[in-house]
Amino acid sequence: MTLKRHLTIPLVSMLLLFATVVGAQAQTKSNDVAIIVNPSVPLSDLSLSEARTIFRGDRQYWSKDLPIVLLIRTPPSHERDVILKKLYAMTEAEFKQYWIAKIFRAEATTGPKIVYSNSMAAELVNILPGAIAFMAEKDVTPNLKVIKIDGKMPGEPGYPLR
Amino acid sequence: MRSAWIALFVISCALAAFSQSAPAGPQLSSADVQKLLDRISSLEQRVSELEAKQAASAAPAEQNATPAAAPVEQAQAAPVQQQQPPSIPVPPNSPATIENKTAKAPPTAETDVMAGMHTIYQPGEGEPYPNLKIRGFADIDFGANSSDRVNSGFTLGQFVLHFASALSPKISYFAEVSLTPTAGVYNVDLERTIIRYDVNDAAKISFGRYHTPINYWNTAFHHGAWLQTTIARPDMIVFGGRFIPVHFVGAQSEGFIPSGSLGLGYNLGIGNGRSTNIARPGDPGDVNNNRAWLANVFLRPPALKHFQIGGSVYNDEITMPTVDVGPQGQNFREWISSAHLVWTGETPEFYAEFANVHHRSIFTGQTFDSQGGYVQFAYRLPFNQRKWKPYYRYDYLQVPFDEPTLLDFTNVRKSTLGVRYDISDFAAFKAEYRNGRGNPLPQRTNAVAVQTAFTF
Repeated sequence: MTLKRHLTIPLVSMLLLFATVVGAQAQTKSNDVAIIVNPSVPLSDLSLSEARTIFRGDRQYWSKDLPIVLLIRTPPSHERDVILKKLYAMTEAEFKQYWIAKIFRAEATTGPKIVYSNSMAAELVNILPGAIAFMAEKDVTPNLKVIKIDGKMPGEPGYPLR
Repeated sequence: MRSAWIALFVISCALAAFSQSAPAGPQLSSADVQKLLDRISSLEQRVSELEAKQAASAAPAEQNATPAAAPVEQAQAAPVQQQQPPSIPVPPNSPATIENKTAKAPPTAETDVMAGMHTIYQPGEGEPYPNLKIRGFADIDFGANSSDRVNSGFTLGQFVLHFASALSPKISYFAEVSLTPTAGVYNVDLERTIIRYDVNDAAKISFGRYHTPINYWNTAFHHGAWLQTTIARPDMIVFGGRFIPVHFVGAQSEGFIPSGSLGLGYNLGIGNGRSTNIARPGDPGDVNNNRAWLANVFLRPPALKHFQIGGSVYNDEITMPTVDVGPQGQNFREWISSAHLVWTGETPEFYAEFANVHHRSIFTGQTFDSQGGYVQFAYRLPFNQRKWKPYYRYDYLQVPFDEPTLLDFTNVRKSTLGVRYDISDFAAFKAEYRNGRGNPLPQRTNAVAVQTAFTF
């Protein structure tokens, strides 16, 4: 009984310490939305206008032989709300109509691909050549290539996608 | 030894108190705590399931058994779960919580965003080709006119099918087929058939039958009544109209030229031009040995989001052997110049277009100029889930009475006042009042029209 008690106290203390440190780190992350791309994408910086032309499907190629593959979160999600507001300037209904019209006008053969979570976006963006997606900054892992927007990384003052 | 553990515990408590004092930390209510407890319970249950699965797979007797559906789904979900952070407490309405509520689909599946046009494939397999997608548009209309010469009643609108298929990463095919009700029979028409090769964003080369890109409305809404705010197209570009060519058969290059913040786009085309019936394109061949050509340039600055401005020129030689040979002969040079200014947002929505059609008799050199245009304004109202969008349009068409290629043309001065109600994201109800002269009758009339238009 005594031995078990001696083991329980330090174990709980260690767990509490770990949770505190991790929690403090999480609190330093912002609600910014990071733009992530496949490592094959030959860019590390985009202007907000360039990001707009990419997500609106007006620009469809990174380079001559590398098509852009758009990955978009399903609603409801904070990240999708930010992208619709800042890049598309559209409501959900307008967004749907926009892509139907774009395909109908023969300006694109397909709309963006759906991803159901940030982790799915992270997984697919690393698999699909030319893929671009967005996710919450707090969910960005070190193996992801994050694009600067207007020269700023997520979390920096003046970052436009928040 | 015991004092060391106590000291460690005190340090932990101090760190916890420090982190909680940070201003960014959200305040958790009892409901939040309950949700967190529920989440912990679900995670514990999941750990139990995984442990049970691991134990089961270790048993030799079960290694040869057919796997059940549920473990397969769990195995597919496992890599994604491993990437998620440990159960860090988060507020219930935070993005992470929303994500957990919506993360239902298998993470290795990928679909297109368009409802009814889904293509599901595994990322490792790449995009399947060809990937045909079909979308339909239809509408049903009712109209009444103050003139006894126009019957009121219901009409079936066009039934339109649109096909889009990527044949490879750089080659794609588009087609649009319409079924239009006429007296006794449906008229089937291949409105567009386009095969396109994408060299890059600046050069997309295509061949086929197009909607002539010298008019914004003509290439923005095509035959999809649901896509356009109003019930009817502007009079300058009505289907079957003669004022400007609705269709074009030939080859085209289009794209966006790198221009920084300008968003400079273009269309260049060469083709058969108008047929002997100038309302039709030269589908079976050109009526003369002069190709039509067109150039369209527009600016769509990304910073302005919904703004576009552009202009076009179109050149052709018209041959009309079926008309009586009058003093002007049968052959005319045609120059069409047009301009558009649009704001495609819905608060507000604004379209304005103008075109000048210049014809010159090759025989006499006499010239004829006709003008047409429209201005349309709409605004999506903010209440009632933004379902209502009132609109107004003014149509104008002026053709000289002695214009030999546009004989018996009815000039138009017409106002249209209406409202669109979006029943759902894919169906709309429209009602409008029209007052003016021209189309269908030369004298001033009043008319009402209603329409339900949808896509499927």
